[in-house]
Amino acid sequence: MLASYLPDTDLEVLLDPDASAWRAGASETLPLTGTPLGMQPTAAIRASWIDRRIGAVDEVRVAALHNGQGLAFRLEWEDASENNDLDDNTSFPDAAAIALPANEDSPIIVMGKPGAAVNAWHWRADAPSQAREISAEGLGTTAPVPGSGIRAHGVWKDGRWRVVIGRELESAGGPMAAQLRPGTQTGFGVAIWEGSNQERAGIKAFSGDWQILSIEATGGAGGGRK
Amino acid sequence: MTATERQLAMVMDLNKCIGCQTCTIACKRLWTQDEGMESMWWNTVNTQPGRGTPRDWEELGGGFRDGAANPGRIPTRKEFGQAGDYNHQEVLFEGKGNGAHLQVKGDRPDWGPNWDEDQGDGEFPNSYYFYLPRICNHCTHPACLEACPRKAIEKSSANGIVTVNEDRCRGYRFCMEACPYKKIYFNEARRVAQKCIFCFPRIEQGIANACARQCPGRVRFVGYRDDQDAPIYKLVDKWKVALPLHPEYGTQPNVFYVPPIGPMRFDENWDLDPTKPRIPNEYLESLFGPEVHGALAVLRAEMEKTRSGGESELIDLLIAYKWSEMFGGFDRDPATFGQK
Ligand code: SF4
Ligand code: SF4
Repeated sequence: MLASYLPDTDLEVLLDPDASAWRAGASETLPLTGTPLGMQPTAAIRASWIDRRIGAVDEVRVAALHNGQGLAFRLEWEDASENNDLDDNTSFPDAAAIALPANEDSPIIVMGKPGAAVNAWHWRADAPSQAREISAEGLGTTAPVPGSGIRAHGVWKDGRWRVVIGRELESAGGPMAAQLRPGTQTGFGVAIWEGSNQERAGIKAFSGDWQILSIEATGGAGGGRK
Repeated sequence: MTATERQLAMVMDLNKCIGCQTCTIACKRLWTQDEGMESMWWNTVNTQPGRGTPRDWEELGGGFRDGAANPGRIPTRKEFGQAGDYNHQEVLFEGKGNGAHLQVKGDRPDWGPNWDEDQGDGEFPNSYYFYLPRICNHCTHPACLEACPRKAIEKSSANGIVTVNEDRCRGYRFCMEACPYKKIYFNEARRVAQKCIFCFPRIEQGIANACARQCPGRVRFVGYRDDQDAPIYKLVDKWKVALPLHPEYGTQPNVFYVPPIGPMRFDENWDLDPTKPRIPNEYLESLFGPEVHGALAVLRAEMEKTRSGGESELIDLLIAYKWSEMFGGFDRDPATFGQK
């Protein structure tokens, strides 16, 4: 997938999932699958999900744009129910995340390993205009990335979520965060949690192994790909 | 998990609990007054037989079966019983006199944390009930801790107290599914799980838990499991009269109960019938397991001994002549909290 370069477009503008820039750009549909039961980190989770479907959302439409300083992903998926509250102990919000490798060895399936973190940009429907940037060096080890400038905006309408998540290409988060540069390629992944199915933590639909994202060069012909 | 070097425990003598809820309120005032905690009762006291708090919690699963994790369900807010929003403003400040009565705003609740108080079971004149106070059991094999994918629940290696690390908790609530005693609450304002902390800030200063210290019935003993000179060890390990609730849940609780003996039955002629207990043995076995029969036999024998003029270490302990000796050394005055 290509993250097209769109000079002079403020990241703030791109945070609107209906911005005209998104309509013009290319997008791609990624099939999603539920995380395997055997990968759930605790026996209690495995016992309670053994007969339940994991990963209620089948596919997500993804697009990405950057302006030389910041990169934004736009996610759109079908969801008949908007789950955005914690009105009961049994209510879980819809959520989405973009995963990026902090390092070329970072394994996505197990959310990183020591010394090779997976960086995630995480959005949740109970705070639809906020995001959290986290990094993990293995399942269950996620911690917030300090100093993150991550932002997001999500809108649910007519049975669809449209969510934009973005931040600066260069993160203040250091080696635990993905440091991105125009004219290079990186891996990325998408995860969607369906609140009405009580999905949270490792119970989610995800896009499998790393997908390729090419971040378009900013400097004409000279900005070649890695 | 690191091994627990010592384990704090509590024994509650169900023969003495009067259901006054002083423990419940002591806990509420100390720990659960903040926003998002309105409906939390880390300490509950329910009438048995009864549906309990949350409603029918014994049917919600969790814990372990044959050593393997047993699936459980998260109790809803209605099942716990929600804090009512009352019309205080209308009754107290709007000058309506007798025209306004204190009531919950909105839908009338159909359940609460002590809804079936004093209902019990049995047919007159042999009806029966007793009170069952419950806190988190600070289990040796905590299902809550093992269920959490974020390792947000910790068991202190120094004293065995189980706490939620709110900095790690992301509100996933797998612990609420897994705890078979349904003693974890969800704070929707802070989006984290919260539960009884065994008053660890008091314990660290040698002060017994608020629920135990405030109990007018002298029901609750506190202390280290392995302190052979203190009441917990004597009641649990030496005399074997204090038993965990639902041992079959497999979490190895560290709260133990002295089972209630209950009054004698009346027979058809309204004479006392000493051959059969009023509280059915099968019912007590369903709560405390088969060990309950031995425990009751010891209690009856020791009571008989004192009745006929003999001495009994066990009965003296349970009477708790010396109130301060119930706390295994955690007998400092709470008024001195924070003082050197
Ligand atoms: S009673 Fe429940 S919350 Fe408390 S330690 Fe045991 S399993 Fe955990
Ligand atoms: S304060 Fe004591 S007597 Fe009163 S309900 Fe609690 S445990 Fe029972």
